[in-house]
Amino acid sequence: MRSRTSAALLPVARYTLLIVLAMIILAPIVWVAISSVRPPEEIFLYSPKLSWRTFIPETFTWENYRLLWESDFPRAVTNTLFVAFATVALGILICSAAGFAFAVFDFPFKNTLFVVVIITFIMPFEAIVVPLYVMVRDLNWNDTYFALVMPEVASGFIIFLFRQFFTKVSKELFEAARVDGASWWRIYWDVAMPLSWPTVVAAALMMFIHQWDAFFWPLVAATSPDLTMVQVAIARYLQFEQADFGRLFAAMTVASFLAILPFMALQRYYIRTIVDSGIK
Amino acid sequence: MHLFQKLLKAGSSLALAGSISAALAVGAHAQTELNVVWMGWAEESVKPLMDWFGKENPDINLNYQRIPYNELLSTLEVRLGSRTPEPDLYSADASLTASYAARGHLLDLTPYFADDLDRFDSAALGAASYNGKMYAGPFATSMQLMFVNVDLFKKAGVELPSTDIDGRWTWEQVREAAKAIAKPEDNLWGVLLEQSDRPYQLLPLMQSKGAQLVSDDGLEATGYVNGEKFVEATQFYADLFGADKVSPPGLFELNLVQEVFHTGHAAMMVGGTWNLGRLEKSADFEWIAVPHPYFAGGVPVTPTGSWQIGINPRTEHLDESVRFMKFFMRDDVQAEWYKLRPYPPVLKANWDNLSDLLKGKPWEIAKYELQNTAVPRPPIPGFREYEEILKLAFRDIQQGADVRERLDKAAREMDRELAKYK
Amino acid sequence: MRINPAYYFLAPAFMGLSVFKIFPIGVAIVGSFYGTTLIGESVFRGLDNYLSIFGDLDLLRSFGITLLFNLIANPLQIVLSLMVALLVFRPGPLIGLFRSVLFLPVTLSLVLTALIWNLLLDPYLGPVNAVLDAVGIGRQGFFKDEAQALGSMVWLTTWRGVGYWMLFMLAGLYAIPESLYEAAKIDGASWWQRFRHVTLPLMRRPIAFVLVASTAINMLFFAPVYVITAGGPNGATDFVMFRIYQAAFNYIDVGRSLAMSTVMLVVVLAVAIVELWLMRSED
Repeated sequence: MRSRTSAALLPVARYTLLIVLAMIILAPIVWVAISSVRPPEEIFLYSPKLSWRTFIPETFTWENYRLLWESDFPRAVTNTLFVAFATVALGILICSAAGFAFAVFDFPFKNTLFVVVIITFIMPFEAIVVPLYVMVRDLNWNDTYFALVMPEVASGFIIFLFRQFFTKVSKELFEAARVDGASWWRIYWDVAMPLSWPTVVAAALMMFIHQWDAFFWPLVAATSPDLTMVQVAIARYLQFEQADFGRLFAAMTVASFLAILPFMALQRYYIRTIVDSGIK
Repeated sequence: MHLFQKLLKAGSSLALAGSISAALAVGAHAQTELNVVWMGWAEESVKPLMDWFGKENPDINLNYQRIPYNELLSTLEVRLGSRTPEPDLYSADASLTASYAARGHLLDLTPYFADDLDRFDSAALGAASYNGKMYAGPFATSMQLMFVNVDLFKKAGVELPSTDIDGRWTWEQVREAAKAIAKPEDNLWGVLLEQSDRPYQLLPLMQSKGAQLVSDDGLEATGYVNGEKFVEATQFYADLFGADKVSPPGLFELNLVQEVFHTGHAAMMVGGTWNLGRLEKSADFEWIAVPHPYFAGGVPVTPTGSWQIGINPRTEHLDESVRFMKFFMRDDVQAEWYKLRPYPPVLKANWDNLSDLLKGKPWEIAKYELQNTAVPRPPIPGFREYEEILKLAFRDIQQGADVRERLDKAAREMDRELAKYK
Repeated sequence: MRINPAYYFLAPAFMGLSVFKIFPIGVAIVGSFYGTTLIGESVFRGLDNYLSIFGDLDLLRSFGITLLFNLIANPLQIVLSLMVALLVFRPGPLIGLFRSVLFLPVTLSLVLTALIWNLLLDPYLGPVNAVLDAVGIGRQGFFKDEAQALGSMVWLTTWRGVGYWMLFMLAGLYAIPESLYEAAKIDGASWWQRFRHVTLPLMRRPIAFVLVASTAINMLFFAPVYVITAGGPNGATDFVMFRIYQAAFNYIDVGRSLAMSTVMLVVVLAVAIVELWLMRSED
């Protein structure tokens, strides 16, 4: 009896919580989006004192977006998408392989190598940026897409992620496949990866967002206007001496909208992929 | 070759550099490529000049990068700090001429401009020089005025400041007027300092009191930054935010300070001439611009300095870089630059060439100030450190820290950082 | 002799890591024992850089602030992200949309997140204070108030972090076999018992990942400090990373900056290893 009432109440509690959370999360982004359709002079005109105008534009305009479209922003978006997708494609492959090795095999210096993997993502970037820049320059990569993509392909974070999640996949499964004569490469590709879709999705999004957010490194290593990345293009609207809040907010709105698309597309892989003990 | 470079050499071989980079290297350029790091002004203010240069110099391929202000200094620190031939040229902050020159990041330009020196505004040239040599090409300068919201003055029945140089207000007068108008509880403020934590804007207060900012050799701050007059001027500044409540504490972002003034929430703002454009275009209140205030019994001092162009001494394209530099120092190019972005001219001739644009009371004041009261920031190699430490101190003081204690601490930190230039 | 197949799987990743991470880190650590003269020559300084930072009480205070921030922000983010993941884990009407909304803050970089919250919470221009003023609570300083600044930073990083860590919590939840829940249901376990005895034990590794990863990110928390507070007011948000940045780029003392980075590396590594050890699974 009791459990039935609580079962009926659960969805109500679930959706109430979700709506509250969604409001907290959306409010700032909606404010940015609303500000982006205001003339720049109006953005802070009504924000200090509460009135209906604080939330609803007095004058509605697409001008900020038109200016954005005519600037180098579309090019920056294309660049960043290319860099991000290239990084994801290469990165998932080599990082999942390494994660698989840590999760499945025993080998000498395993723990030492794992500590090395951790070290690669806890050193402040500011400490390694100069040697990294000199090296990329020596490779003749500065000012190419390689400079933006290659250093991010092998990621300690992602290796660590795959190591944590592959270990969950039952070892019995792998051993069964070995008995059937499958090579380790086959097991990795045909058994471990398909069983880890949600992890692959998480890793892909993590790498995508990492490149989408890239800021300081592109400033240092990708110097030509043709290689402008999206965060750099956005930051330029917050110029010293004179900010362009209109275009700044429009750019943030577009950037946020574009970056949510991969998440929406990949969500459909959020399915249970462990086939219960059934696999022989 | 020092250790760092040795290690890096080793790194390149580690990366199998040879095979990979050979495969990727883009075919040899017919044109010389100049690598330029530029301040992140809007594309529409930058591109026309770059295109013009490209048209006149078809043998040069310009690769210019606009970097947002907040990251410009750190990006340059990485690129210059790696001591490579790139960038060939870069936007150098006028206050950092000595810092870059002392560290070997600026080419001595004296040989190239020896006959041209008297073309430049003297304060701008002063800021571009170090140890008597010209190390950078002045590209823009700056001047501060006090902008006044006339409506707020009238509403409070307070007498307006004069727009004449001779009627220049003292800081004490500014404070009294501000007190009469400000209503902090209604988010209405008396006076704003546009860059409320930056030494650029604040050092003229100390200098107006007659304070010396740093020892003559530029190596010691104790006794100067926490000296009597410096403390006195800083106390006045602190009171604007604290005791008098006429200025909003904690509002550091220059863009937001501007918004507070432009949306009519403050009676006065000491700020750059770059505000004129927006005021003329869209202010919905009556406004005037008056001369920068000074302390009673002191001397009028105004801030100046802005952007310069520097050549990396390690450049592999010296001739092309010099051509670029000379191009940007031309009267007609700088006149066009003014139209794209109205900084006060650094070339004396352009005050006349642009006289139909630089007319009106505000520009009259700005011209007078540049010629008579403008004082560049101290040309010491450690100004970067000095400025940053002082900025953090001003921030804390604005938010209630004890003036003397905080300046004592700042002076100690400065002494530590300045020691490396001994 | 046969080569362990593990090395084939590791080779590509370690090639990349060696060139772009391990080698530069090595250079940085070596550099922490050097100073640089004005004209760019390296000078061996021995332990001087380390001695100077260990004698710096302000830096010790910065470590304290950074650790305190982590002690609050990391558990908060882990609990919230697990909670949120549980809310959107099972299908239902509009759940896909809610998931996307929860992920939305991640699409704004940390720099932009800082920018937005700085504007929203501004004492003079921000709409949040307009609302607080109108409902009678009164204007708050938030980032500009010594007592509220660190808390505001926790809020900022949590606002963005929850959606991010939700990704990994979800991946973990989807890997738990449904049959275990079925079995628990048949045994008459309540949802709390199912959570306590089925979900939590099997979420050990995902949670360990989030714990270590959020430690790594929040120990190196920097952009919002740079954009908003510059370590203030009165040192309230004086994170270690801000000092590392200052030393390298504003105080032009690369050696000292690298020494601080190296110390930071050791501290974070130690914390991460302890966390992994605490979260180790029985198998």
